[in-house]
Amino acid sequence: MADRRRINGPGGTTLPPLYDDDPLPRPTRSREPNGVRPVYLKTGVTPSASGSAYLEVESRNGAPTTGMKLSCTVHGPRSLPRSAPFSPHMVLTTHVKYAPFATKSRRGYLRDASERDLSTHLETALRGVLIADRWPKSGVDVVVTIIEGEEARQFAVDQGSEEWDMMNVLSACITVAAAAVADAGIDCVDTVSGGVAALVSMSGDGKSEIVLDPVATEHDEILAACCVAYLPSRDEITNLWLKGEVSSSDPSLYRTLIARAVHASKGTSQAIVGSLNEAVTGA
Amino acid sequence: MAPEAGLSRATFAKLSPHPYLLANLDPSDDVAPARSNGRTPSEVRTPTVNLSSLSHAHGSAVVRMGDTTVICGVRGETILTSNIPSFRESNTETELTEYDLLVPNIELATGSAPQFLPGGPPTTLAQTLSTRIFSLLHSSKLVQPDDLRIWHSRSEESYGDEDDKMEDEDEENDEDDVANSKKQVVAYWVLYIDIFFISFDGNPFDAAWAATLAALRDTKLPQARFDQDRELIICSRENPRPLTLKGSPVACTAVVFTGKDTDQSDESRYWLLADPDTLEESLCDESITIVVDCSGGSAQILSISKQGGTNLDPKLLTSKEFITWITTRWKGFTEAIDSQA
Repeated sequence: MADRRRINGPGGTTLPPLYDDDPLPRPTRSREPNGVRPVYLKTGVTPSASGSAYLEVESRNGAPTTGMKLSCTVHGPRSLPRSAPFSPHMVLTTHVKYAPFATKSRRGYLRDASERDLSTHLETALRGVLIADRWPKSGVDVVVTIIEGEEARQFAVDQGSEEWDMMNVLSACITVAAAAVADAGIDCVDTVSGGVAALVSMSGDGKSEIVLDPVATEHDEILAACCVAYLPSRDEITNLWLKGEVSSSDPSLYRTLIARAVHASKGTSQAIVGSLNEAVTGA
Repeated sequence: MAPEAGLSRATFAKLSPHPYLLANLDPSDDVAPARSNGRTPSEVRTPTVNLSSLSHAHGSAVVRMGDTTVICGVRGETILTSNIPSFRESNTETELTEYDLLVPNIELATGSAPQFLPGGPPTTLAQTLSTRIFSLLHSSKLVQPDDLRIWHSRSEESYGDEDDKMEDEDEENDEDDVANSKKQVVAYWVLYIDIFFISFDGNPFDAAWAATLAALRDTKLPQARFDQDRELIICSRENPRPLTLKGSPVACTAVVFTGKDTDQSDESRYWLLADPDTLEESLCDESITIVVDCSGGSAQILSISKQGGTNLDPKLLTSKEFITWITTRWKGFTEAIDSQA
């Protein structure tokens, strides 16, 4: 069913370009297992919104497909529409959307299941941070637009590594949303930040290793990954997403994986603090 | 000077925007008249352009004019002529419109301004802007249909040689090919032009069009050939080919402020405000958008659209100042794009 409110293009099927020459060289991980990619974070990119932020996870030279660019706007707190029932605390709405040009295959304008899933995760992560009781009868909208998603999506689908990338995207969404919420001046108990750690199998021997901020294409196989939304000064986790196969013989592995993800989030939390400081002192 | 006890500027602007703008444009004391954003009536926000910032699109541009920020990504996809129901081989004039090869869409619902929140269908403004970009793309004949055609020659020779021949085709003179083979269009590139507003502060059409133009300039489509066995278009990463664009049209928008809705209303007076921001757009009924192309030396007007109000008359539109203003505006945009290219 064609969407009459948009320009849909030709009726026949169009195909994204199919390349026959060598695929782009597979990126290899050059940073330390406990190193995270550098990020650039700036608040106040959308002046008409109450709060906004832009996050760029740096793509390293030679591997143009491993960067991420996200923008986030926060609108509110504002009064709920008259039709809405009474709410003693703030109503939080989150919306995550990929731009059509964000991934290798073109995305539609309607949200798909993975984008809804990301929105729900983001909502959980933020809900634990906001002091919602201070804003009764009001609503806040958090909108995250993914301008450039992680790596080539087609590549990810071929490899089955797509779900792993969603964790990185979620972690970036959490970080950028936290910065935008802080920019909007909404009361929070702390600034939340996202972090990802993964258990990867080493090439060659059958051993596995835990790395921070994994890029799925850089590793042969990811066994398990964990994404946390962490409050550094309170030492609390508001959202935890762990999946994969962790051998049940070693229960401490779960704890280690979560601890490493928390460690990764501490790195991004410094970026938030830095950019907020810059915004405060610059103003 | 206004007494200190009065309202602050921001409060005055919020409470009574009309008198506020009028007081700025027509000050009672000897302060130089200016718009409430500090610009003179004909002063525009200097555009800045950034090209090729997206890695997954074939061409992309970020255009920033003051607080309006637009990202445009162009992505090419292929469609076989067998999938186009209305395909006629003899048609070489109206391919772009008839086969719908250009697909521009504008998305405002990124929270770019408080009135544009996601969740609903595209707003009327977003639909109107998409349609205006769509019609301007076609009426300006900016994109050449030849750039979007993918050729294939069904030769009598064995299929093995074919690949080599297709690749060499650009360099070699294919006179001998014509003799024993028939060259025909097997597929077209479809350009998906997606325009995302990151931040919205008035004058969306100028910004969106500038982003479209800059992104199309930046677009490089891969070399494509037809694989007869698989009936597929195969591309190669080597030597992507830039589009050849005809001219460089630039949209110039201005609104007319009359000071209506104020107690000192005077119908005969009006101000033409170039490159309006959100506040000015909300206060003015009359607006004019001129699409102009000065790349040939003189200013050529591709389209004029004027809505609401009766203040602008033909005399003003043909006046020297007005032409100079649109020419300067054109220069401002093309220089911003060229400095990046």
